[in-house]
Amino acid sequence: MPNGEHQTALEPHHGAGRYVAVWVALCALTVGTLLASRLSLGPPWHLLVALAIAAAKAGLVALFFMHLWDQPGVNRLVFATSLVFVALLIGLVLLDSATRFPLANPPNERTLRFEPPSFETHVQPGEREQGEPGAIGRPPARE
Amino acid sequence: MVHDAPASAGSAVYNTPNYLNAEIGVRSWLLTRDHKRIAIMYLVLTTSAFALGGIFAMLIRIELLTPGPTIMSALTYNRMFTLHGVIMIFLFMVPAIPGIFGNFFLPLMLGAQDVAFPRLNLLSVYLYLTGAVIAVWGMIHGGADTGWTFYAPYSTTTPTQVVPILLGAFVVGFSSIVTGINFIVTTHTMRGPGLTWNRMPLFVWSIYATSVIQVLATPVLGMVLLLVAIEHAFGFGIFDPARGGDPVLFQHLFWFYSHPAVYIMVLPAMAVISEVVCAFARKNMFGYKAVAYSSLGIAFVGFFTWGHHLFTSGQSTFDAGIFGVLSMFVGIFTAIKVFNWTATLYQGAIKFTAPFAYVCGFLFFLVFGGMTGVALATVSLDVHWQDTYFVVAHFHFIMVGGTIMAFLAAIHYWWPKMFGRMYSEGWALVAACLIILGFNATFIPQFLLGNMGMPRRYYSYPAQFWPLNVASTAGASLLAFGFLLVLTYLLISLRHGKVAGPNPWGSRGFEWNTPSPPSALNFPVPPVFTHGPHDYTTGAETPPEAPGEPEHA
Amino acid sequence: MPELTARAAPPLAHHFVDMRQQTEAARLGMWLFLASEVLLFTGLFTAYSIYRYLYAGVFEEASRKGVELWAGTTNTFVLITSSLTVALAIHFARLGRGKLAAALLGVSLLLGCAFLGIKAIEYANHFHEGQLPGKFYTFAEVQGPGASMFFTLYFIMTGLHGLHVIAGMTVLAVMAVRAWREEFGPEHYAPIEIAGLYWHLVDLIWIFLYPLLYLI
Repeated sequence: MPNGEHQTALEPHHGAGRYVAVWVALCALTVGTLLASRLSLGPPWHLLVALAIAAAKAGLVALFFMHLWDQPGVNRLVFATSLVFVALLIGLVLLDSATRFPLANPPNERTLRFEPPSFETHVQPGEREQGEPGAIGRPPARE
Repeated sequence: MVHDAPASAGSAVYNTPNYLNAEIGVRSWLLTRDHKRIAIMYLVLTTSAFALGGIFAMLIRIELLTPGPTIMSALTYNRMFTLHGVIMIFLFMVPAIPGIFGNFFLPLMLGAQDVAFPRLNLLSVYLYLTGAVIAVWGMIHGGADTGWTFYAPYSTTTPTQVVPILLGAFVVGFSSIVTGINFIVTTHTMRGPGLTWNRMPLFVWSIYATSVIQVLATPVLGMVLLLVAIEHAFGFGIFDPARGGDPVLFQHLFWFYSHPAVYIMVLPAMAVISEVVCAFARKNMFGYKAVAYSSLGIAFVGFFTWGHHLFTSGQSTFDAGIFGVLSMFVGIFTAIKVFNWTATLYQGAIKFTAPFAYVCGFLFFLVFGGMTGVALATVSLDVHWQDTYFVVAHFHFIMVGGTIMAFLAAIHYWWPKMFGRMYSEGWALVAACLIILGFNATFIPQFLLGNMGMPRRYYSYPAQFWPLNVASTAGASLLAFGFLLVLTYLLISLRHGKVAGPNPWGSRGFEWNTPSPPSALNFPVPPVFTHGPHDYTTGAETPPEAPGEPEHA
Repeated sequence: MPELTARAAPPLAHHFVDMRQQTEAARLGMWLFLASEVLLFTGLFTAYSIYRYLYAGVFEEASRKGVELWAGTTNTFVLITSSLTVALAIHFARLGRGKLAAALLGVSLLLGCAFLGIKAIEYANHFHEGQLPGKFYTFAEVQGPGASMFFTLYFIMTGLHGLHVIAGMTVLAVMAVRAWREEFGPEHYAPIEIAGLYWHLVDLIWIFLYPLLYLI
C-alpha cells in the first residue's frame, strides 16, 4: 500500500440494531427540540438549545449512519475541515454585522429605535407599498 | 503491454507508441479518459480563452490611449473590462495550470496510471466548455457591465445581460470543484509504492493545496452568483437594502471565494516554480518541508483574509482591523517560499534557459506584487488606494506576473515531455525578454497612475495622466507581440522541432522517467520510489535518462 | 450464502491496484463532494445568520405565524426515517441480500415522496397567504423590515434542499434497481454506500433547517 493510513480490513461491519438505536435517539432528540422550543426560553437560550440539539443529531447521523465512527481519519478530516470553514464564514460575517456602525447596516429594529417613541417597529404603513425601493424601514411620513 | 523497452531506450524516435497516437480520430479525443489527453484539451481551451481575454485587454488599452473617447463608448468600455476580467479569471487563470499541467503531471509524478476518477475528469472539461459557451453567449447578446466582481446592488439592477455570465461562471465553478476533488483523491489514494508524503514532488503539494481551496471555496461563489442571478431575474431582495437586504453581504460571500481564488491562481504557479528552480539549478530544493507545508499554510490562511477587499465598503472597523492583520500572514508563507527558491539557486549550476528566464521574472513580480499587497492590506493606506490603478497594477503583478510567468515557464519546461519536440531556444529567450519588459512597461506606469489618484474602470481621464497611459499601452503591445511569438514558435515546433528524447533537461523530476511523449498507460510497470524528487545528491554520475529508473517491484 | 459465489467478480477500473483502493477513493471523493455541498449551503446559512441577527423579532414572528410547525416536524421524522432505511439498505446490500436492500430503498423513496408532498402543501399555503419572497410579499400579519427577507431565505433554502432531495431520490432509485439485480456484495458496495452518504447529507441539512425555520 502506498502509505500507512490503510488498515487491513475496510472497517468492522455492525449489526442492524445499531442503526435502529440511532434512529430512536434521533426521534427522541427531535421531540426534545420541539418541546424545548415551546418552553419559550430567553433570547439567546432558545437558539442555543435548538442548535445544540441539531448539532447532536447531525453528529449521530454523521458518525453512525455515515460511518465516520469506523472509517479512516481522512474522511473525518475532510468533514471537520468543512465545518471549520463554515464557522469561519458565518463567524466573521456575523462579527462584521455586530460591530458595524449601526446605521451602516440596513434599517432594522435596532437602528429604527432611534425614531420617536410613537413609531411602532413592526407595523409600518409604508410596508404595503413594497414596489418602490426604500419603502421598508422608512419611518411613516408625519402629517 | 502497450510498449516495452525500445520506446524508452532513449533512441529518441518520435513515433513510438504514445498517448497522442495510441488512438486516432476526433471521437477518441472527445471521449477520452486519458488524463494526458484531457490536459491537452484544457491546453487548447484555456489558451483560446486567454487569447480572447487578451483581445479585450488590448481593446481596453487602445481606448485608454487618449484622454477622451478613443474607439468606443463608455458602456462598451464597461463591457470590455467586465469580459476581460471574467474570461481571464474564470476561464483562464483558475483552470489553466491545474487543468493542463496538474492533469498531465500529477499522475505521472505519483506513479499512477490515471487520476482517481477519469470519467469525472472528462466531465470537468465539458462543464468548463458548457460554462464558457453560456458566458460567451451572454457576451454576444450584450455582455455585462458590472466588472468581474458583480457587486450588488448594481449587478442586480443592470439592464445588461448579466445572468448568462453569472450562470457561465457558476458552471465553470463546478468544473473547478470536480478537478479539485479528483486531485485530492488521487494524491491520497494513488501514490505509488514508496512515495510517502514527504517524498512527493513540491508540484503535487501545491496542486493539492490548490485543490483544497477549490473544493471548499468555490461552492460559496456558486451560491452567491446564483443569488445574484435570482435577484436580477425575480427581485427577491436578498441584497437590496430597500427590502432589508445587505449589499455588503454580497461582498463577504463573493470575496470568501475570490480572495482564496487568488491562491487558486498563484499556488499552481508556485508549484511550477518549485519544479523548474530545482531542474535548472541542479540542486535539491532548499527546505523541502518548509516549501511543502507553506503551500498548505497559504491555502489555510488565504481563507482568513477576504475582508481586506471591504475596507471601504461599510464593513465594521473592528473586522477591518482583524482582516488587515490576518492578511499579513500570507506574506509570511509566501516569503518562506521565495527565500527557499533563492536559497536553492545559491551555488546551483544554473542553466539559463527560457523556463528559467520566466522563473526570474516570476520571482521579481511576485516579490514586487506581494510587497504592494502587504501595503494594500494596511487599512489606512488602502483607503487612499482603493479602486485606483494602484490596485489594478498590484493584482496584475500577482496574476500576470505570477501566474502567467509560471504558466509560460511550465509550458516551456514540459513542452518536450508533452509533445516530444523541442522549441527554438533562441526565439524563446527573445520572447521571454519581450514579455517581461512589456509587462513592466505596462504595469509600472499603472502603479504611478494609481498613486496619483487615477480611478479604475473609467474610459476617459484628465490630460495629466496621458503620458503614463501611453507608456502603459505601448508596454501592452510589446506584451502582445511576445505572446504571439511564443504561440508561433511553439506551433512550429510541433512539426519541425528537434526530437526531444525522454529527458532533454537532465531533470530529476519523477515525470521525466517516462518516454516523451509518455505512453498511453504511463508506466508499463508501476514505479517504486526510493527517494524524493529532484534528488541531485544520489547517483550523481548517471542522470536518470529514460530507462531503468522505475525499479520493478 | 450460495448466491454470493455465483456473483461475478466486482468491477475494478484499470487504474486501481485493488478493490480496497477503489472503494477508498470513491468514498473520499464523495466526502469531498459533501464538504463542497456543505459550503454551498453555508452561503445561505450565512445570509440567514446576519439577517436573523438584524431582524430577530420579525424573524421569530414570521416563523411563528408564517410556517406550519406540524409540517416541518412531520418532515423531520420522515427524513430521519428515510435515512434509517437507507442505512439498513446498505447494511443488507453488504450482506448480499439485494432484494431486501432494494425494498428498503423503495421505502426511502416513498418517504422522499412524502417529504416533497408535504413541502408542496406548505408551498401552496404560502402562495395562498402571500408569504412570498421579496417584491411578491403581501402577508399582512407580519410586517416590518426583514419580514419579506425571512420568506426569501425560506424559499431559497428549502427550495435548494428540495432540489437535493430530488437528486438524492434519483440516485437512490438507480441504486435500488442495481441492488435488485444483486450487483452488490461484501466486496463491492461502494456505489450504494456513497449514494447513501448523499442522502444522509440531505438529512443533515434538514436537521439544521428545521430549527432555524420552524422553531425559533
